[in-house]
Amino acid sequence: MHVLEVKGLSKSFDKIKAVDDVSFFVPEGSVFGLIGRNGAGKTTTIRMMMNIYEPDSGKVTLRGAPVTNEFKQKVGYLPEERGLYKKMNVWDTLMFFARVKGKKGKEIEEKANEYLKKFQLFTRKTSKIQDLSKGNQQKIQFIATILHDPEFLILDEPFSGLDPINTDLLREIIIDLKNQGKVIIFSTHLMDFAEKMCDHIAMIDEGKIILHGSLKEIKTKYGHRNVNITYDGSISFLNGHPIIESIQDFGNTTGITVKEESQTQELLQLLLERDVKVRRFNANDISLHDVFVKLAGDKDMEVANV
Amino acid sequence: MFNFRTMAVIKRELREKIMSKTFIIMTLLLPVFMFGIMAFQTFLLTYDTESNAKLIIVTESPDLTMNLQSDFSQIPIVKQGKYIITFQTLNRQRLQELIAAKKQEMLDDKLNGIIFIPSAALTDKKIEYYSKSPSNSDLFDKLKPTINQALVDGYFHGKQLSQEDIEYARNRVDINGFRISKDNEIEETNAGARIISFVFAFLLYFSLMFIGMMMMRSVVEEKNSKIVEILLSSVEAKELMVGKIIGTAVTGLLQMAIWMLPIIVVISSSIFVIPPELIPNISIGQIIYFLFNYFVGLITFLGLFATVGAIFDNDQDAQSGIWPIMMLIMIPFFISISMNKNPNSVLANVTSLLPFSSIMVMPARMSLVDIPAWQFATAIVVNVGMMLLIFPLAGKIYRIGILLTGKKPKWGEVIKWLRYK
Repeated sequence: MHVLEVKGLSKSFDKIKAVDDVSFFVPEGSVFGLIGRNGAGKTTTIRMMMNIYEPDSGKVTLRGAPVTNEFKQKVGYLPEERGLYKKMNVWDTLMFFARVKGKKGKEIEEKANEYLKKFQLFTRKTSKIQDLSKGNQQKIQFIATILHDPEFLILDEPFSGLDPINTDLLREIIIDLKNQGKVIIFSTHLMDFAEKMCDHIAMIDEGKIILHGSLKEIKTKYGHRNVNITYDGSISFLNGHPIIESIQDFGNTTGITVKEESQTQELLQLLLERDVKVRRFNANDISLHDVFVKLAGDKDMEVANV
Repeated sequence: MFNFRTMAVIKRELREKIMSKTFIIMTLLLPVFMFGIMAFQTFLLTYDTESNAKLIIVTESPDLTMNLQSDFSQIPIVKQGKYIITFQTLNRQRLQELIAAKKQEMLDDKLNGIIFIPSAALTDKKIEYYSKSPSNSDLFDKLKPTINQALVDGYFHGKQLSQEDIEYARNRVDINGFRISKDNEIEETNAGARIISFVFAFLLYFSLMFIGMMMMRSVVEEKNSKIVEILLSSVEAKELMVGKIIGTAVTGLLQMAIWMLPIIVVISSSIFVIPPELIPNISIGQIIYFLFNYFVGLITFLGLFATVGAIFDNDQDAQSGIWPIMMLIMIPFFISISMNKNPNSVLANVTSLLPFSSIMVMPARMSLVDIPAWQFATAIVVNVGMMLLIFPLAGKIYRIGILLTGKKPKWGEVIKWLRYK
């Protein structure tokens, strides 16, 4: 059974259909990525999953049962836009966020102390949030998200706005929680990041799910005519070549799709003949970005070219 | 509805509000401020009385001059030397010369003025006053009775009238007001009733505005700083709103109860030596009604303030969106304070029973006149009913508004939110 299942969710605001018949599931023990452009409907979907918005239609089930407020107690949510009560002190803030999740008492206090020590904020317990640096405020925000020991972690664009030190810190926490068997759900527009962290994904575009499944399966499915190369030299001669279907330049790497699977070896040969120094050649490999572009079309690029 | 989540929100609100400097200072300072204003007013009134004046009274007949001289010598302000009055007997022609001679003195404020009482005044009581500022009503209030007395004496002098008749003619009408009430005995109305009526209206006005704005700002802050998104991942919008309103309303009630303490002490003990006409005529029961009524009103208005806070995502927009609610507080306040002339007017009667306005008008009215039990009951039912009606609507708008940011919504759109799921 899937731990979380989303079935036919729809939500409109006035005439705009923000989420349109979205269905996907999150397998037990997975790191799940909800991927899409800004404004694709990720946050609205997440809000409906957490019962913040009521869907116009469809439902969300937790291990087969409809989600209730009980689910909220089991979730740690780090929204993209975060905030804390500026005039509250660190300790009261943590205790308040634990209390709304139904946790209080000695156990949670010990845990809070533990985290504060780990994040080197133990001495700032009585400081007001507004007196902390932005980086430290972010740390308090993480602690508040995970202090109640959530079963699920929902992170909306978790690394946006973080400094490098806090990025590493958060990554560490996420890996730690993953190893503890928690379900982690990411929402992000960074394909590269999702590719590294997630083992299941759902791609959403204009409110609709365009792809859903395990990362491995997706890569095999879409990667069979695709080659990822890193090289020095010029490959412009490939433009319009009969075996080439498309070329996507990502800066560091280039994704090339050939017309037939058997032509990948032919491609390597071509490159070597033209004195292109091939440093990496990954056949049957495709980046999530490539998949996304294939499925949704590169609308961002079009906009940029206008 | 009162689960641990709501309780956590209530607790946080209470802590934040009651421990805040603003709350403590306000609670202590407002009574001081109010008594200060009253004392200041009294001071101004007495200060005015004690100002000095220098006058010349001119008559056309020596008899009248003598009468005036002896009458004036007996009034306190002259005895105390605050008013220095000299008397002269001159005809109209010589008067002009006197005015010309004293002109500079009057312009320099060394002499307040010259009062001319022609002989004709003995029949028509018309006198003349020459001064730089001839419309000084305060001065006349003090001089008129004495001049009148001298004229009355002069008029009746030599006529066949007994001393009592003259005495009667001299007297001014003296009105004593008596307040009729159903169960109490007839009692004199007092300044205390008017003061307490004003105090009630003022406290309600001030507190609803102050606490309401505090509520609105706190909602805007939560929305603006995006805390609300995190909060809503733990609590429902309704729980959050109810928690905030209850927390804030309890804070308000506590503050109001503290402000009521001096009044309770005044009416239930004799620690303070207060002139009887200043002791307000209200009972502990009425104070309890006042506090209950305040609590219901506060919850109703806080619902509205929270809703407006949720519609807008910054203080400026919210300030401009709050005026319809301000009107609901301000208009009843003006009715309340202008009502003490006639607390039984149709306007006072009706507004003390209408939703919103009765929250302020009824308490202000109950200290002036006896309110029939059915009116109290109606006001309570109307207010509680309004509170119960407002809440679901406010909750709906709040729930939608609290997560919307960006464009300032139009009122039409807000109405549409009511139909959202």
